[in-house]
Amino acid sequence: MDQRRSVSDLFNPLRPESNRNPPLYPSLIPKTLISLPKRGQNPSGAQKPPAMETTVSYQRFPKVRIREMKDEYCKFELRETDASMANALRRVMIAEVPTVAIDLVEIEVNSSVLNDEFIAHRLGLIPLTSDNAMRMRFSRDCDSCDGDGQCEFCSVEFHLNVCCDSDQTLDVTSADLRSAEASVIPVDLAVKALAMESSSTSYEAAEQRGIIIVKLRRGQELRLRAIARKGIGKDHAKWSPAATVTFMYEPDIHINEDLMETLSLDEKRAWIESSPTKVFDLDPNTGQVVVVDPEAYTYDDEVIKKAEAMGKPGLVEINAKEDSFIFTVESTGAIKASQLVLNAIDVLRQKLDAVRLQDAEENDFSELKAHLG
Amino acid sequence: MNAPDRYERFVVPEGTKKVSYERDTKIVNAASFTIEREDHTIGNILRMQLHRDPNVLFAGYKLPHPLQYKILVRIHTTSQSSPSQAYRQGIEDLDKELQYLKKAFEEEKIRYEEKQRLSY
Repeated sequence: MDQRRSVSDLFNPLRPESNRNPPLYPSLIPKTLISLPKRGQNPSGAQKPPAMETTVSYQRFPKVRIREMKDEYCKFELRETDASMANALRRVMIAEVPTVAIDLVEIEVNSSVLNDEFIAHRLGLIPLTSDNAMRMRFSRDCDSCDGDGQCEFCSVEFHLNVCCDSDQTLDVTSADLRSAEASVIPVDLAVKALAMESSSTSYEAAEQRGIIIVKLRRGQELRLRAIARKGIGKDHAKWSPAATVTFMYEPDIHINEDLMETLSLDEKRAWIESSPTKVFDLDPNTGQVVVVDPEAYTYDDEVIKKAEAMGKPGLVEINAKEDSFIFTVESTGAIKASQLVLNAIDVLRQKLDAVRLQDAEENDFSELKAHLG
Repeated sequence: MNAPDRYERFVVPEGTKKVSYERDTKIVNAASFTIEREDHTIGNILRMQLHRDPNVLFAGYKLPHPLQYKILVRIHTTSQSSPSQAYRQGIEDLDKELQYLKKAFEEEKIRYEEKQRLSY
């Protein structure tokens, strides 16, 4: 208030000169004057603010624990980082980890019931083994083939030639695709080959007949050439290696035991039943309510509402641990789920590398000039 | 028919800089960075990392429009630092965190596989 009045008074011509306030903080002015030339004295041009640069770091050290890992499925805990990192990893896994998928189709003969575009689309959606995709080039920045996408560094050629000459309908499947490269084949065939090899219990996989592309009647024919390219899910979902990637906060559940003991057995049962998922249960021996599966909790608040309805608010307290995540990663089979996570980390690092400030000196210099000017 | 090409979402057009930097004209140690062809993935981790820096007074990002494939990151720091320094530090720390995470995941994977082998 006082300060504002004094400022407006400064501009009041009616105010006598002698009454004008001296500068409010006289000490401020000389200080600034001293500090300015100090910056200018640094002739190298690189303005280095006091002793920061390399010594200070605000880096985190996340912890990982794998709970379950199969070729196409992975469940793990990620701790000591924040939601932005968990979400960035999830987004990258879904949309930016590269795979190989059929992108260009040249149809020679198609007398099937489906039109050319329809078949081309179906071919694109067949997942292909993409273990080498990280090392491949995108055809748009491939130097050795002018971007027409037909060279060994950026594409794989497929041929399909099927004709039906029996009275039974013939299924054209992913098994009919002939790949030019043994490392890039439809995923279902690779899984089948693996199951045959181990010749053990995985009978189911060995029985698979492949992904149906189209069905042919007598006399119908399908002959085509297809080119598979490297791509990312952002471009088209067919390139996404992820079937589902989710993460959840780990819940932190505290039961108020004293309050819980004021409930009768029937009341406890009713309260347990109020949860749509089986989070709590009754210990058959002690009759106590116990948490059986905290992760089954879906943050639906039903048990909290139930406790309030029963006149026992604060019966249970449930919080999400802000720095603890449970990831579920399911892959299409194009790459292994665990590899998907590792590739996502690599891709994210490449992205960060791309957004580094390039002209470091120039920026610092302009900052300095601005300070002086 | 008049849909933009899909690759426009992630390919930086020729003659455009990936990251450009513009100082605020009114406030000292404030600047906004325009990052081309990036989205919430980079924007949000960068913002949260900048919040960990005590010299950063303000850090925020926005995706101005879903069809403009760029983000704006605004940073305001104390006089102990500068926006470009904070930015560089943020990227550096995130990169090291990911490097650490990759190692941690690989080690955990080996440990898990070993455990599975022993249980058979």
